[in-house]
Amino acid sequence: MLHCPKCGVSIWGSMRRCPLCQGPLTGTTEEDVYPLLPGEAKPHWLFLRLAGLLTAIALAVCTIVNCCFPAGGWWVQFVAAGLASAWLLIGVALRKRRNPMKAIVWLLAVVLALVLIWDRRTGFNGWSVNFVLPCFIPCMQLAVTATMRALRLRPADYLLYLFLCVAAGFLPLIPLLRGMLWTIYPSAICVGISAIALSALILFRGKALKEEAIRRGHL
Amino acid sequence: MADKSLPSWWTLDNAAKIFPSTGSAHDSKVFRFACELREPVDPGLLQAALDQTLERFPIYRSVLKRGWFWYYLEDSALPVRVQPENLPPCYPIYPAGRRSLLFRVLYYRRRISLEVYHALTDGSGALCFLCALVYEYLLLREPGRFPGTPLDLPYDASRSQRQADSFQTYYERPAHRALGLSPAAYQLRGERLPKDRLAILEGRMPLNRVLACARARGVTLTEWTVAILLRAIHSGMRVRDCKKPVVITVPVNLRNYFPSGSARNFFATINVGYDFSKGEHSLDAVLAEVKRSFQDKLTEERMRAQMNSLCALEHNVPLRLTPLPVKDAILRLANWIAAQGVTASFSNVGKVSMPKELEALIRRFSVFTSAGMLQACACSFGGEYTVSFASPFRDFEVERVFFRELAQMGIDIVLTANLPSEKEEG
Repeated sequence: MLHCPKCGVSIWGSMRRCPLCQGPLTGTTEEDVYPLLPGEAKPHWLFLRLAGLLTAIALAVCTIVNCCFPAGGWWVQFVAAGLASAWLLIGVALRKRRNPMKAIVWLLAVVLALVLIWDRRTGFNGWSVNFVLPCFIPCMQLAVTATMRALRLRPADYLLYLFLCVAAGFLPLIPLLRGMLWTIYPSAICVGISAIALSALILFRGKALKEEAIRRGHL
Repeated sequence: MADKSLPSWWTLDNAAKIFPSTGSAHDSKVFRFACELREPVDPGLLQAALDQTLERFPIYRSVLKRGWFWYYLEDSALPVRVQPENLPPCYPIYPAGRRSLLFRVLYYRRRISLEVYHALTDGSGALCFLCALVYEYLLLREPGRFPGTPLDLPYDASRSQRQADSFQTYYERPAHRALGLSPAAYQLRGERLPKDRLAILEGRMPLNRVLACARARGVTLTEWTVAILLRAIHSGMRVRDCKKPVVITVPVNLRNYFPSGSARNFFATINVGYDFSKGEHSLDAVLAEVKRSFQDKLTEERMRAQMNSLCALEHNVPLRLTPLPVKDAILRLANWIAAQGVTASFSNVGKVSMPKELEALIRRFSVFTSAGMLQACACSFGGEYTVSFASPFRDFEVERVFFRELAQMGIDIVLTANLPSEKEEG
């Protein structure tokens, strides 16, 4: 046992100095009481920080070039918006990385919102509602199904997210019914697939889905 | 198929509701109960003992999930494994979104440690679990040596009693709200450790010596310890800080006031403060004030009132209808405001009891909790009183004065400390 003459206390362990006064100790050391842990970890996310720096450089260079040659219009705003969109997606994916099912639902929502905004801000040519919406949503429905199978999730862990993805499949109905589309097929197929999936979900997992809703929504 | 898809679930109890919203890497809301045996721990037997113990405490198999309005506990099929101790003490257990069990069982040399996320249970509930675990382990370790030794847990409870939320049992709507803001208390300063590290300093002393010291002044051991802690904090204060009171928050086990077999949270806290600007710093003056505070606040009436006003918040309809992300922000703010009224915390778990036959195989119990502020915990076992400090600060300033004062009273103290990292050792 060690002893600190200044503090008048004994110390058990393998310390070299008194933990109270940092003074020298007398006596013999014993075994460690706590395991010795490695020092502080290195800073995280090095790759992400580098990507952030590259983004800043790209943005600065583009702004300078655009200012020097303003003839082609202010195209730098598209560069900025593109980079911001990319970072938004990266941010969402990283934040939700611990729960892949939740990540898919969030990415679905963010991508749909971004696509609509981009289409609208670039003159609303309608490519978003005609093609991207009805093609992207079934892809995410597929992704959610594949993920839950691959991870062998329990119904309680996937039902809600599956339901949200299936429900999103009915979104193309809005532009369809309002007559905003010039290509009907993709939207019709998307809604059709979703209707079948929803019926299957309700018929086979309806009770569990209701339970999950009660659990999630308890007051 | 239907049954498999419907795991059982539990709402969080009143006290637990605040922890998931306010936990962070600085304050993980994790606490540790440790039991040091006389022989090195056998991981295989410990695993077997853990599997048996879990059958009696099924709620320990649950994970925390986010609802739209509240967090809740859901039964899980996650494997439960004992691990060698290779994380810092009270390392965060519930990082947002990760699905993991809310406790871990660690072993290091002769020590079995149980680290628990506070949303799952409180100190009394966790101690119950650890006692059961150690009991099962020792029975496996020494087969046939203790025939017919039943485990006499601190309270006798059925499975459903252990899972019960006792706050709901005893709640009655208060006539008027008794929650008020406490004045700002003195806040300790100092260089902080990296965010998920804690400095642990544990002092063991003979129980009969400290009991004699406390009784000589006509106070309880808890009151005596709190008074010495108050004085130790005061010794490091600058003169201009002294206009703020030093306040120590003390958790109170509500099971002592309201019969309950719950293995979940069932506690309230009282704040005990001393205003050093009055100029009177002697131990006797502080002790008198602490004793008066304890006697005033530790009555069944006051406890019931506090419990009811906390539960009333949970039953408040607008608050219940607030979506969880907003609730998180509100609770974080409320927690921060409450923390401004508190300097440090002290929790006395009291005497840990195990069956007589097994006590010979156990060296000691100890307890400490993660800390956004300085936290002291105490327990006693086998004639030894252990006070453990867990602190986010690099230096043991308060602890130094605290233990030196005890040493000057002629109490034999044995200290143990962790080295926050390899770098500190040199």
